[in-house]
Amino acid sequence: MPFVSEIQRQSDFNHFPSTTPIVIDNGASAFRIGWAGESDPRVIFRNIVQRPRHKATGETVTIVGDHDPSLLKYFDCTRSGPRSAFDGNVVYQFEIMEYVLDFGFDRLGANGPEIDHPVLITECVCNPVQSRSKMAELLFETYGVPSIAFGVDAAFSYMYNQQLGICDKDGLAICPGFTASHVIPFIDGEPVYKGCCRTNIGGYHVTDSLKQLLSLKYPHHMARFTWEKVEDLKMEHCYIASDYASEAQLFQKGTKEAEEKTRCWQLPWIPPPTEEPPSEEEIARKAAIKEKQGQRLREMAEAKRSSRINELENEVRGLEFLLHQLVQVAEDDIPSFLSETGYISKQEIESALTKATQSLRKAKGEPKDEQAETEDHTDATNEKFHLINVPDDVLSPEQLKEKRRQLFLKTTSEGRQRAKQKRYEVELERERRNQLDEERRMENPELYLEELRVKYKELSEKVEHRKRLKTNGGHTNGNNVSGGVGRGERLNAAQRERMRLLTTAAFDRGKGEDTFGARDEDWQLYKLMSKDNNDDDDEGPDEDEAELVRLSSRLQGIDPTFVPKSDVQPTEMPKFRPLTKEDFQIVMGVERFRCPEILFHPNWIGVDQTGLDEMTDVSLRRLPSYSDDIAERLTNSILITGGSCLFPGIRERLEAGIRMIRPCGSPIRVVRALDPILDAWRGASVYAAGSQFTTQTFSRMDYHEKGEDWLRRYQLRYSL
Amino acid sequence: MEPEVIEAELVLPIHLNFKRIQMYEKYPKGQSRGRHWKHLKQILQAENYHNYSPDEPNYVNIESPPSMHPCKRICDITGYEAPYYDPRTTLRYANADIFKVIRSLPNEYVQRYLAMRNAAVVLR
Repeated sequence: MPFVSEIQRQSDFNHFPSTTPIVIDNGASAFRIGWAGESDPRVIFRNIVQRPRHKATGETVTIVGDHDPSLLKYFDCTRSGPRSAFDGNVVYQFEIMEYVLDFGFDRLGANGPEIDHPVLITECVCNPVQSRSKMAELLFETYGVPSIAFGVDAAFSYMYNQQLGICDKDGLAICPGFTASHVIPFIDGEPVYKGCCRTNIGGYHVTDSLKQLLSLKYPHHMARFTWEKVEDLKMEHCYIASDYASEAQLFQKGTKEAEEKTRCWQLPWIPPPTEEPPSEEEIARKAAIKEKQGQRLREMAEAKRSSRINELENEVRGLEFLLHQLVQVAEDDIPSFLSETGYISKQEIESALTKATQSLRKAKGEPKDEQAETEDHTDATNEKFHLINVPDDVLSPEQLKEKRRQLFLKTTSEGRQRAKQKRYEVELERERRNQLDEERRMENPELYLEELRVKYKELSEKVEHRKRLKTNGGHTNGNNVSGGVGRGERLNAAQRERMRLLTTAAFDRGKGEDTFGARDEDWQLYKLMSKDNNDDDDEGPDEDEAELVRLSSRLQGIDPTFVPKSDVQPTEMPKFRPLTKEDFQIVMGVERFRCPEILFHPNWIGVDQTGLDEMTDVSLRRLPSYSDDIAERLTNSILITGGSCLFPGIRERLEAGIRMIRPCGSPIRVVRALDPILDAWRGASVYAAGSQFTTQTFSRMDYHEKGEDWLRRYQLRYSL
Repeated sequence: MEPEVIEAELVLPIHLNFKRIQMYEKYPKGQSRGRHWKHLKQILQAENYHNYSPDEPNYVNIESPPSMHPCKRICDITGYEAPYYDPRTTLRYANADIFKVIRSLPNEYVQRYLAMRNAAVVLR
């Protein structure tokens, strides 16, 4: 049963004579205001105030109570949430209280210069006098109320139910409210506050714990659990288990009964569109398109190539023709002839020609003659390097230069040769080793395989360890592959060395003047520091790695079960499971009775006080006139009222709980109020309409004359 | 203001006829004012209840005492009866499966579960 506010503006305010009292039930959760003598309050709304900013105009406005949430889209509510005037069950922020009263009176239809009606307003049991006097002051000074009476909501509710014959003159009122629960004993229809007791647990705490539990259980849907929504869930689904332990057992065992008791809230969820595998036709079509595109690209490349070849051929032909002409031209005319062509000398033309022929060859895809040349080198070495063996003093300076060039060329070509030779030898060696391995394998395949595996394992561990040392500085926690130097991550060896050098440079030179750089050695520091990580790699790891590669390839060849440890950890993305309907379900099982159970076990949410059932016992013991007779009379008429007693099963549970505490055989009767929520207002309305009401009010004059101490002792007489 | 907002009379009017002192007179705009209210704790302190007879009921002494019954311990995660207690996280748990869950919970969640029963570590 979700909370429904009634905030229609009333139009008949002026029809009521000024003697008709206005009755206000000022509860921590809801504010109810109406006329004395009527059966229902005129205006009901949540006792909260919001001060959001209007988005269009930017002004801060005041919104009291709960409204259509769709209208709040025009306001920026991010700065301030809903605020309450209550701390616990005591009004402490009178600015907010004033907004609430403004709204209440406004909706009741007030429009005169002041509120010219007596006011009966409820307060908590034993309200601190400061709160009481502030409230009186507010009503007197700001609204011009002629007289006020304060009463306790639970007492009005008890009185009202007593008049209806639901409970007796002597009895107990158990009132689990929004922020606190009370037990108030009544004797002869009067509340005995001495025997009263309060536990600071109420519907607020139930909703709060449900909200927290659900958002811990479903962190992804946290935004769904707004206060209003959870409040609705609580009112709709929560119940009190007759025996918590056995009820929880049901759920723990996963019985059928528990399944039936589990409620599921399906959040809006749209199934993702299912992707159909592409049909044969589709695949064929796609392949055709791809093929077509490839064909086009190939054609384009071919056309480009042929045009280039054409171009180059033309150029070569032109140059050849030019050379041919040049031969025929007379010696003296050469410069003038050349100036026309744009070339400076014959050599230039020739070099251009060779260049063009080379690129032509390249374009046609013929092998470069470079390769062929190197092959020729060996044979032609002696001819090419003819100057090498000639002594220096015989040669002219130009020839000397040439000789030096030849020397250089020769050494490089020889070096190349040697490398080739070495490669060949290594190849031979490997071949030999493989052959040896093969022989050994033939002798004892099992043993050989085992050995190979062990070797592989050792080697791979060694290599890995080295790698880790390098990247992670001996930090053996292998799951850190990022290598970045974040918080808590170790530096690698090179970085650590750099750090060490820097710190020694900074701190080892004493506190005096800075002499860094005075000596030349100081600057060596930078050389050391800039040394890169790779520099200190010796041959070792490379060799190991090569061996590792060889072993793994070998193992792969002969061992079908072998899986090589990949170098880089496969950074597999966590696979995204497609979200299903179940991911958008809020399942409420144990929560349904776990949250309201805190009314009986406040210590479950860290409040070290007695629960509802035990409170009755405490309350009876506190009675100054305690006797078994009185206790029996009281327990024979226990009324439960207040918002949190709407949980199904609370009556039976309370009866069982109180029976356990009270002596055997004592009469116990627990009844629920007719309407646990509205009875307090109705009782107050009846009371205010009574002829004796005016004797219980106090005016502004009284308030100022009698002072605070009087107000402290002020107490309504309910049984008039 | 949008027409539907005005229609619903969502916003509390600034001037109300029936008030002797308007809100804007009481709390003029643009004037910074300190906190002009007391928390419940401060209110109760100012009440000086210790000056009055303890037989007189007041807001503080009507509070109910701690329970006389041994408190039932429930699993912080599931709400089942919890015979066990994890010394590392100080969470209570019902069985081995939930223990696994507890040990895999991030610390933030552990603290939130503990905060539900007012047992979280509060750093000041």
